Order: sequence, then C-alpha cells, then structure tokens
Amino acid sequence: MARFLIKRLFSATLTLFAVSVLTFLMFFALPRDPVTGMCPKNCNPERLERVRDDLGLNDPLVSQYAGYMKGIVTGRDLGSAQGGRCDAPCLGWSYVSNEAVSDTIARVLPVTLSIVIPAAILWLLLGVGLGMVSALRRGTWLDRAAIGFSLTGASLQLYFVGAVLLLVFVYNLRLLPVPSYTSLFDNPAKWASGLVLAWVALAFLFSAIYARLSRAQMLETLSEDFVRTARAKGLAKPTVYGRHALRAAITPVVTIAGLDVGGALGGTVITETTFGIQGLGRTAVDAVRSGDLPTIMATVLIAAVFVVLANVLVDLLYAAIDPRVRLR
Amino acid sequence: MSLSPVEGVALAEIESGTGEPATKGVVGRSPGQLAWLRLRRDRTAMLSGSLLVFFMLLGLAAPLIEMVYGIGPREQFQNLLDGFGMPLGYAGGVTGEHWFGLEPGLGRDIFIRLIYGLRTSLFIAFAAALITATIGVVLGALAGYLGGWLDAVINWITDLTLAMPFLIIALALTPTLTLRFYGERGQVSSAFGVGVLIAVFAVFGWTSTARLVRGQVIALREREFVEAARASGAGLGHMLFRQLLPNIWAPILVSFSLAVPQFITSEAALSFIGVGLSDETPSFGRMIYRSLDFLQTDPAYVFFPGIMIFALVFAFNLFGDALRDALDPKSSR
Amino acid sequence: MRPRVAAAAGGAIALVVALGACSENTGEGTTVDTNRQQTGVIATDPKDSQGPAAEVSGAAKGGTFTIIRETPISHLDPQRTYSFAGLMTNPLFARYLTTWKDDGKGGLVLVGDLAETPGKNVNNDCKVWEFTVKDGVKFEDGRPITSKEIAYGIARSFDPDLSGGPTYIQEWLADSPNFDTKWDFKKNKTSLPPGLSTPDAKTLRFEFAKPRCDLPFAVSLPTTAPLPPDKDTGVDLDKQPFSSGPYKVAKNQVGVQITLDRNPNWDPNTDPVRHQYPDQFVWSFGPTADAANNRVIADNGADQSALAFNAVPASLVARVAGDAALKSRSILSPTPSANQLVINNQRVKDLKVRQALNYAIDREGMVKALGGQTVASPLTTLMPPATIGYKAYEAYPAGANGNVEKAKELLGGQTPELVLGVADNSTEQQQGAQLKANLERAGFKITLRNISDDAKLDEIKKKDNPWDLYLGNWAADWPSGASILPVLYDGRTIKAEGNSNQSYFNDPTINAEMDRILALPPADQGPEWAKLDERIMKEHAPVVPLFVDVAYNVHGSKAGGVFISSVFGYPSFVNAYVKP
Repeated sequence: MARFLIKRLFSATLTLFAVSVLTFLMFFALPRDPVTGMCPKNCNPERLERVRDDLGLNDPLVSQYAGYMKGIVTGRDLGSAQGGRCDAPCLGWSYVSNEAVSDTIARVLPVTLSIVIPAAILWLLLGVGLGMVSALRRGTWLDRAAIGFSLTGASLQLYFVGAVLLLVFVYNLRLLPVPSYTSLFDNPAKWASGLVLAWVALAFLFSAIYARLSRAQMLETLSEDFVRTARAKGLAKPTVYGRHALRAAITPVVTIAGLDVGGALGGTVITETTFGIQGLGRTAVDAVRSGDLPTIMATVLIAAVFVVLANVLVDLLYAAIDPRVRLR
Repeated sequence: MSLSPVEGVALAEIESGTGEPATKGVVGRSPGQLAWLRLRRDRTAMLSGSLLVFFMLLGLAAPLIEMVYGIGPREQFQNLLDGFGMPLGYAGGVTGEHWFGLEPGLGRDIFIRLIYGLRTSLFIAFAAALITATIGVVLGALAGYLGGWLDAVINWITDLTLAMPFLIIALALTPTLTLRFYGERGQVSSAFGVGVLIAVFAVFGWTSTARLVRGQVIALREREFVEAARASGAGLGHMLFRQLLPNIWAPILVSFSLAVPQFITSEAALSFIGVGLSDETPSFGRMIYRSLDFLQTDPAYVFFPGIMIFALVFAFNLFGDALRDALDPKSSR
Repeated sequence: MRPRVAAAAGGAIALVVALGACSENTGEGTTVDTNRQQTGVIATDPKDSQGPAAEVSGAAKGGTFTIIRETPISHLDPQRTYSFAGLMTNPLFARYLTTWKDDGKGGLVLVGDLAETPGKNVNNDCKVWEFTVKDGVKFEDGRPITSKEIAYGIARSFDPDLSGGPTYIQEWLADSPNFDTKWDFKKNKTSLPPGLSTPDAKTLRFEFAKPRCDLPFAVSLPTTAPLPPDKDTGVDLDKQPFSSGPYKVAKNQVGVQITLDRNPNWDPNTDPVRHQYPDQFVWSFGPTADAANNRVIADNGADQSALAFNAVPASLVARVAGDAALKSRSILSPTPSANQLVINNQRVKDLKVRQALNYAIDREGMVKALGGQTVASPLTTLMPPATIGYKAYEAYPAGANGNVEKAKELLGGQTPELVLGVADNSTEQQQGAQLKANLERAGFKITLRNISDDAKLDEIKKKDNPWDLYLGNWAADWPSGASILPVLYDGRTIKAEGNSNQSYFNDPTINAEMDRILALPPADQGPEWAKLDERIMKEHAPVVPLFVDVAYNVHGSKAGGVFISSVFGYPSFVNAYVKP
C-alpha cells in the first residue's frame, strides 16, 4: 500500500512537471506579444522593450521557468510594478488583470467548485438511481424510458441545453434569476438559485451516461453466481441488491466518476461560457487569448493537479470498495 | 479537460460488456456473421443505420446538391434582410428558393451551408476516429502485451495526455501552424483548418482506446492459445495482429462507432471557445455556435442546425448501442 | 421504441425553438435616425465652470444604481485609466483640471473642473498654460485640494510601474515619447517633472518646448486627477483610489463587484457637471453581454435600476427595437468611434485602386452584416460627425450598395489581388466575408487572411505588416481634428511598431498643412480640419471610411439620467439617478 502510494505520487509529480514545462513552451510558441496589450494607444518600440525587460520576458527560457517554479516553492520578488514581494506559493502577477494570480485563483476556484460538486452529486444520484431502477425493472416501460432518456442526453450538447434552459426559465418564464455566482457562505439561497441551471444542465447530460453505465453493470452483476447464491441462501431482496450487487456494480461507476469530476474541476469552460459565469475554465481560456503567462501557468497547473489527484484517489477508492482489488 | 472520445462511461461499458469475446460460434458461422445477423434483425439498428447512410450520402453529394439547388455556400443575399440584418418573411426567411431560410447578417443560405457543414463535420469525425483508434490500438496492444517498462512509459504518457491542457494547445496550435505553413499572406485553404483540427483530436483522443485495448490484451495474454503461439516462436507482429487483435476487434469497433459522434460534438464545442475552422468553411460547430445567440430573435436559425446535429449524433449513438448488443449477445438488452 | 424517443426529443426541441418563429418579418419599423451635428466649444465665460450643475428633470435622490459589464474595469487608478469603462467611471470619484459639459446630443462645452477656467494661454503661443484651482474643492477626507496634489498626480503618471494611462501630458512636458527616461519619478518623488510647476497653492503652470494648443482638452483626461503623496499606494491604488469626486470606493471585490458610496466632502457648488443622486453605484462584472442585456430586459428586482454597459448584441437588436416597452428603456446614439477599411499605402500604391475601393464599397451591406443601424451608421469622411467643425461630404459617391461600374471603370480591366487581414473574432469574420463578396463584385480578387484576435491590433501597427487591407478603428480622446488627422495621417510619425498611422500614409504637403493648422488658436481649428479631411480623401484616398459605431444600451425601468457621452460614445453616469 505504502509502496503503491509512493510510486503513484512520484509518477504524478513527474506528470505535473512535464505539464508545466510543455505549457511554458507552448506559451512562447503563441504568436502573441503580451506586452503590447499593456500600452493601449501610443506605444513606441523602446518603451515596449523596457516593459519586456521588466517582466523578464527577454531572459532565457530556462531561467524564466526556474524563476516561476522557484516562486511557487519559496516565493519571490516580482518588482514594484507587480506588487513587490510575492510569498510562496507565488503564482505570479497577472499581466492583464493587474493582480496577484493567487488572488485570481482564490476568486474563480470556488466558482468552479460550486458548479461541479453539487452537479456531480446530482448526476450520480440521478444516473445511478435511474440505472438501478431500469436494471431491476428490466424490459418494462420504465426501463425503456430510462434508455431513451440516456440516449437523448448523450446526444445533446451542453451549450444547446443551456441556451434553451436559459431562454425558458430565465428570460421567458422568469422563474430563476440570471445565473451568477454568490458565495455559499454569504447567501446560500442566492448561491443555489444562481447556479441551479448549470447543475441541472450538467446533471442531465452526465446522468444520462451514468444511467447507461450503471444499468449495464447492475445487469451483469445480477447474473453472477454470488448474487444467485445470496438469493438462494434466503437473503431478502433489498439486502442482496443493496449490499452485495450494488457494491460490485458501483466500482466502475466510481472510477469513471472520479475521473470525470477531476477533469471538470479543472474548468468547465463550456458550462461557464454558456451561463456567463467566470470560473477556472473561462479564466484559463481568457488568459491564453490575452497571452497572460502567469495566469495560464497557474490555471493549467491547478487543472492538472485535479486530474492527477483524481487518478490516484480513484485507485485508492477502488481498493476500498472492491475487496478483490489489491494495490501493488 | 479530457477530449478522449469514449473516456469514462462508454469505455467501462465496452469493457464490462465483453469480458468474454464472442468466440462460441455454433453451426459453422463466424462470430462476425452472427453479429451481422443479429444486427439485421434489430429494427432500431437498421433505422439508425440507414439514417447514417443517408447523412453520409448527403455529405458526399454536397457539390452535386449545390448544382441542383443552384446556390453556393458562400453566396450572400443581403437584399433579403431587413435593416437589422434579420431575414425578411416567415421563419427566418424560409422560401421555395431558400428551404431553411437565411443567416442573419450576411444572408447566406442555411440549407446549402448545412449540407456542406455535414460534409466537413463527418469528414473530421471519421478521420479523427480512425487515427485515434489506430494510435490507441497500437500503443494499447504494445503496452498490454509487452508490459514492463514499456507499459509503464505508455501509461505515463496516457496520464500526461489526460492532464495536459487540451485547450491551451488547441488555441496555440492553430495560429502557430498557419504561420508556419502559409506565411503571413497566403490563402489558407479549408483543408488546412480541417487538418489541424484532426491533428488536435488525434493527439488528445487516443487515450481511451489505448486503455481499453491494453486491458483486453492483458486479459488475453495468459490464455492458452496465446501461450501456444508464443511457445512456437511467433514474432511480435504475428502475436499482435494475428493472435490478439482478431479477438478484440468487437470492443474496438464499438468504441469507434461511439467516438465518431463525440468528435462531431467536440468540433462544435471547440468553435464555442473560438478554436476551429474559419467562417469561410461551413461546419456544424461554427453554425450552431453563431446561431445560439439568435435563439430569441431568429429561432429558425437555431432550429435547423440544432435539429440536424442532434439527429446525426443521436443516430450514431443508437447505432453504436445496437452494434454493441449485436456483437455481445450476453450484454444488457 | 427508441425511434419514438428520438421523435419525442426532437419534438420538444422543435416546440421550444418554434416559440415566436411564426410571425412574418416585414422589415417595418427598422429605421433609426442617427444623424446629428456635434457642436463643441471651449468655455470663455468662467460662470460656465461654476457649480452646481443644473438639476436633471425628474431626478430623485436615493437608491442603488447598478452597472453590469462582462469584463472588469482594467484600472481604477486615474493615472492608469484609459479604457472606456474606466473613463466613464472615473468622474464619479475623480475630478480633473477640465471636463466636458455634455448634453448627450452632441452639444459640448469644455469647462474648468478643479480649475476655475479651462486654462489660460499665457503668451497666446500655446507654450505656457496656467490653471487656477477653485476654492472649496476637497478630498474624501476633507483636506482641501491644491495645485500641489494635482501636480503630484501628473508626476506619478511618469512612473513606468503605473503604465496604461494616456501619455499626452507626459510626452509634451518631456518633449519626448520616452518621457520616463527623461524624468525618473521614483528618484524624484518630491520634485516635479520638467515644465510643470506650482507657483502657489492655487496655481498650476505648464511650460512646453513646442506649442500645445490642445492642452485644455488633454487635461480633461484622468491624468490630472489629484492625489496627496501620503495617499499614494502605488500599484495598489487601482483597488482603492482616493476620491475627489461625489462618490468614493466603499468596497472593491476585484473582478467581481465595486461599490461606490457618497462622498460627503464633495461640494456640489464647486462642480459644473456631476450630481450625487443615487446613494450607491454598484459595478457588477461577469455576465456576458448577452446575459447582461437579457437580465436588464427582464427588469426584475434590483435590475430595474441597472444598466447593461455592454451594448445590445446584434442578435438581440431586433427584439429590443421591436418592443415598444423596451424602446423607452433604451438609449441610442452615434459615437465618435470611426471605422475604416484601412488600405496599406505602402503596398497599394496605385491611387486608382484606392479610389476604386472607395467607389465599390457596400456600406449598407456592411451595416447589415454588423446588425443594422443600431450597431453602425455609414460614414464617408475620415473624421466622425462628432468632431468639432465636422462637415459631411462624399468624395467617391458609392450609393448605399457601392458603385460597381465606376469602380470597374477606374480599374480598367485590372483585377488587383489584395490580402484582407481579419481578426478571428466572429464580428470581423462576418465583416471579412461581407467585404470579400462586396469587393469581388467590383472586380477585385480578395484573399481573406485570419489574424489571431488579440494580436491583430499589434500586428497591423507594425510598419512592415504583410496585409493590403484591414479593418481599423479610431476613437479620439477629445472631439478635435487635432486628435484625429495628425495622429492617423501624419507620415512623419511612422515608426517600426506601435503605429497609429496604420495606413502608412505619408505626404509632405499634407504634413505641412497639419503643422499650419496645429499652430492656430484651438477655437479656429475646427473648420480647417474639416477642409483637410476632404482634401486628404479626394487627393489620396488612404482609407475607405466605413461607419461609426452606434451606442445602443438598455436600462431597467427605474434607471434614469443615463446618456451616451458625446466624447467617448459610452454611457455616462454624472446625471444618473434611480426613480423611486
């Protein structure tokens, strides 16, 4: 177990390192000079060159990269134009929004968490529930309705569903406010009402797929020997289905859910754009568009951390749920 | 953000559904023939299948349709728009001449643009699915069969690909490559934009197939017939292509059929964040992205591309589903 | 079973989408009159510069006025403010040496703000200017504002750390575009830049090496906002500027929301333009332009006293303009932001080709592609109608849809192959497609070449850029020809990169004529610029004028007093109020 963890963590660190290097190189391949955006109307080449110097954009790539990484670990001095001393973990100073990138992240990360976590709970409950019901009521109209629902959901796109939901519930019926983010701790009601459409849209599309998956898993498990044995031993239906079959069937669901949630936490660009909410995903895209290197690095790294962590967690959970799995 | 087409759910479904590859033929029929028979008997499969064939024919015949229809995808009919650039008449300017009406602003014909868009989107999706399947199968089979350090390396690359910022690369790649290939003034051909998109999908889309194939190969590796072949001194190529792959083509085919619609929607999703084809090339993604803004003022403009892309993807999903049932009689239905 | 599900799902979508698809669009009621004449003067009577500003009819005190915008304001620090959102917000908490009295209909008077008059041209040669600070003007902490704090504000604008703001005054004082190397603010915090002095607490004096007749206009920009040195927090002033206006920043959640409260130390009797009607102004950032406008159109709760700062998107125009109830809640006004099809004169040297482009242009088609008259209004001159002294003319009568015959005649059978560079945003893509179709009708062969959206502006500002045509835009910082023609068409200013003269037009006689006009007294310059405008177009046709942007904004049913600034073309808040 310990050996497994160490191995996984080592590989995860290596992955993050590779992601950071590749992102850094990618930025310098962008045909975009971040500096020119900083002086809007009357710029001259000498001034631009001085700004480049100040930002360190003329330094060799390796030392720029090392500087950024050092900032994350030990903090660093960014110079008076960029807010001076920046404590560890220093993610740099945004060229565009003129603030410490850690402030940007502190603002947008809760938004993405608030979208993804409730949506994930919703889609898991709905999806697994539907899948179970249709597996147990196999062949009935309920089963067919669930299949139809799941195939429809899998064929629709978020931007389409989102736009229609907005039109109907916000602009026409006016049942809900225009989506926006309020902190859960400031006003839970407003938090929920502002994000509920995003949850519903995400949950609809995702639960559709989870329903298919858990239905197939459940059917497979139900036909297995240990379930038949349990029934034959005279155990009650709910005990068999709830404790034995569900447990076996849910393992792959957990795997997928972990990876999906990990990916989504890195930013739900389409959701955020459709509902006009500024989370991690939109921030990352904006940063690429405007060539804001420190923000690009920070958002990409955070997204990668989520994905990598989700991978490790899924492996651990797998072992916890399914006693047949041993970690090596 | 992962772009792997059949990441997750579909993958697990495929894996779970085919624990036992279809090897038990009865009256001298190959598993393939059996599957085909089952598919033939499935009404849904036939219906969605013929719809898909119809869509593909439409896409292939686009230039022919243009000739008959008499209007090109870039022709503008601004004289049929009002002062706000909205189409005159009913339902977004639907007339006998313009079957699906006109785009607001430029007044281009929606019908012929959809036909060409269908062509572009289908081509991108099929090409990307083929390439990702090939990469995935090769890497997955190698990793699964050889194991050891190669397995570790391929696994790590898979993890890295999943953790890489797909968007950043897609956003950065297009302008950089364009500059490289066409200089600053050259006319960028539509084929180039399409090629870049396919390349982006290829780089990020292979991970799920690789994982799927790797898992299947590991399961097969210890079986008797494989060991027998190995003992008799078969080479790597023979082992992979003659012994292992023929036994796992069913899940690969299913994964392929589910990957195609995923790439169609991915192209649309990319347009949404401003990556992808230029306005000159008609594509589903670009059309649906532009039209959504007009949901309130010109619903017909949203309706036609929206219903078309839904029908296409839905048909693919239905067919993929039916295909899985046909290939694996043991599973669900 | 499954096909039936498909039909049901398709039907549901069809139903939603079909809502409202069945009415016929006959194109009626879609004309908008956007013609008007700008008049601009510099106040000669000191009484014009005195407060209080005239009451706005129907205005009431109290309430919270909300402004919704997609992206945050880039800078609040007055010395770093240059974006339109910033320029429109700043007057709420910052006062300048001079400011514009604006009736929102093009009638502009330049008056003294902190200064008693819009400047005194001491020797009548525009080289020495003096401003006298009003009595009774105070900061938010009650301290009086003197010439020292105004001078300090100008001095800190030399700090390269505090970049982003206009640089006119700095460059004029230093007599060099590299002003920050001529005078180092960080090393000389207790002194003042060369040429700037405060003979006493009431007087601010500028001395320039060259005549700078536009100084009264230039000091209406936020560079001249006052700041006591002990309140200078450097880059952090962006979060919490120190107020001299009717409001002060009460709470600033960077990137999310800014709340402005009343500043009790602001004295209406000293201020000729600002009011203090609402209890609070709230800027709220995040919703897309579409979402913000939809929210305001919905008119729910707090949004009733809100304004969407982003203009009505083209896709919603038909809805807003077609709804009588919304008409009363929208403001529509042409802006001074002029758009051209810029011809790269270094590449397209044949005058006939440039003239043919001017004849061929289909302005009506261009306006339609953009979303109609509420988005753009056709333009045939270099300067926008909102310029002092403007005179309308058509050098190359193209009609509404272009004079293709005339263009072909000029080309004489040639088919010039031109590369049109367009940004890869959806608006310019539309424009590019429209222009290509339009110009190819007239015999040109157009290659569309995409330029990365964010890089486009920087790229076309490079002297050796590789494109023949591109879309250009200029919104002047003040409505005088002096801030348009010399900036855009003086060939002597062309440098390697960062050019405003994006047509790279250079003609010695035109350059000399500009020098002559620039030396005239500011009040006499207007008609001269208009004449030069026509001359440049007739003799050289360096660009194809296309259209001016039209501002079209909606506000809630309880929001009042908002008008489109005749100077910047964006909503102004100095008269804003909330209806009870």
